[in-house]
Amino acid sequence: MIRTVVALFVFAVFICGLIVFRPFGGGDETVAQDRLGTPVEETAAANDEVEVTRAAPQDIASLAEAALQETAPLATDPQTGLIEAPRRVDVARPSTDDTRLSDMTNNVLAELGFAGVKPVTTNAQTQRQSTSEILAGIEAATGNTSVLQERDTLEAIVIAALRAGTSDEEIDQIVNTAAAEGTVAVPEILVTSDGRVDTHVLLTNIVTQAQLAAGGPAPSIPEATPENTQGMEVRVVQQATEAVQARFYTVQPGDSLGKISITFFGSVEHYEAIFEANRGLLSSPDRIRVGQRLVIPQIDNV
Amino acid sequence: MKTLARHAITACLVALASSASAQDVRITTFKTESTFTLNGQTFTIQREQDQSATLQGDFARTARACPPDCIQPIRVAEGVMTIGELEVMRYLESTVSDGTGLLLDTRGPQDFATGAIPGAVNVPAATLHEENRFRDDILRALGATSRGDGTLDYSTAMNLAVYSGGVWSGDAAQAIKNLLAAGYPPEKLFYYRGGMQAWVHVGLTVQTSANSG
Repeated sequence: MIRTVVALFVFAVFICGLIVFRPFGGGDETVAQDRLGTPVEETAAANDEVEVTRAAPQDIASLAEAALQETAPLATDPQTGLIEAPRRVDVARPSTDDTRLSDMTNNVLAELGFAGVKPVTTNAQTQRQSTSEILAGIEAATGNTSVLQERDTLEAIVIAALRAGTSDEEIDQIVNTAAAEGTVAVPEILVTSDGRVDTHVLLTNIVTQAQLAAGGPAPSIPEATPENTQGMEVRVVQQATEAVQARFYTVQPGDSLGKISITFFGSVEHYEAIFEANRGLLSSPDRIRVGQRLVIPQIDNV
Repeated sequence: MKTLARHAITACLVALASSASAQDVRITTFKTESTFTLNGQTFTIQREQDQSATLQGDFARTARACPPDCIQPIRVAEGVMTIGELEVMRYLESTVSDGTGLLLDTRGPQDFATGAIPGAVNVPAATLHEENRFRDDILRALGATSRGDGTLDYSTAMNLAVYSGGVWSGDAAQAIKNLLAAGYPPEKLFYYRGGMQAWVHVGLTVQTSANSG
């Protein structure tokens, strides 16, 4: 009797040992996650959807390159001998404020004397106003006068350049120099993946808003296809009864959220829809990086 | 005639009672009021003498959504001293009166306008965040001076006692963290954790006006 019990016990311990230590086939289960730190793709596909990939002529070389740029090479810690987790090297970005590009453009047009365009108060102006109130309060308590330094604004730079008939290239240079020195703050959607200010979007948007102000039609939605848009990818997700197209876009060097919005929706106004659809990847609209794979949402009645 | 006499006696009793109760609610046993001057203006802090008074309005609330309004620790940051009501009054009488310090109310301007500690200056916590492009202007107004290279020198900066709505408000803690992140020396910072709610809870004088002065 006792022998049987002991034998059973030993057998049970052996089985437990097998379960815990897994001497066979343990190697298969090593981390299948994202070791390179590239964004893990999350498709919208729900559990029981069948996914078919089609018409996605990706530029494999550029994706690989993007993935390389994205991650620093693996380094070994000399003390522990462990491989250090790759860190993302963040590019220096121009300082931003939460002024909306449309407000700023509106004020540029108003200042240039466009009929029917009234200046609005931008967030930067509100912030300036509240700061001067705070300074007045401190002044009343200390008796020392304090001055609020005058600063260049992107608005003023653009207005002066447009009045002087400066070329687009020169405007790009002036704005980027000022942004690099930290003397102006720019709207977040103008910041590109390589840390510059996208003056092309800035100027395009001025033209678009000027046309709208003159009673022109709203910009049409361009037909973006994987053939004419590098980095774009289309997937067809088969749901219960219908096939739904899901669009993805891999951020290219020099892209800003404003530019991506223009590419897919014709104007910068829909950047928020893109930003909201990619909250998991983007902490703020100016934090886009080369190689990030963004979901491009469908927008009805644009 | 009899009623008149009774009225007179009642009036006398009331007068006696009120003169006696003026001494009843003191700040401490030997202190009935705290007086200080700020930029030539004199302020006096006393306690509410009506012993049946209770908290009213917003400060009577005991539940606020957390986040954002979460309970704060006693020590808010390394090297920053936490103070109570008596220390706040001593700070106003000495440091603020000599012009070497300020009391900052870090709530929003609307809250500040409904009533603040006498002599406090409104500097909302968010305006001290590095994202505010005008932060350095505020820091210079608080006595920091620009070094040539764009950084600030805090050797002449004022002492700051910082408070917000109450124990449940992270505004003062955030303001202190923002100041430290900007390089403000921790030994110049003081944290009045109880904040406005603790101040009114013990019936201390509240000043209602837009910025002091």
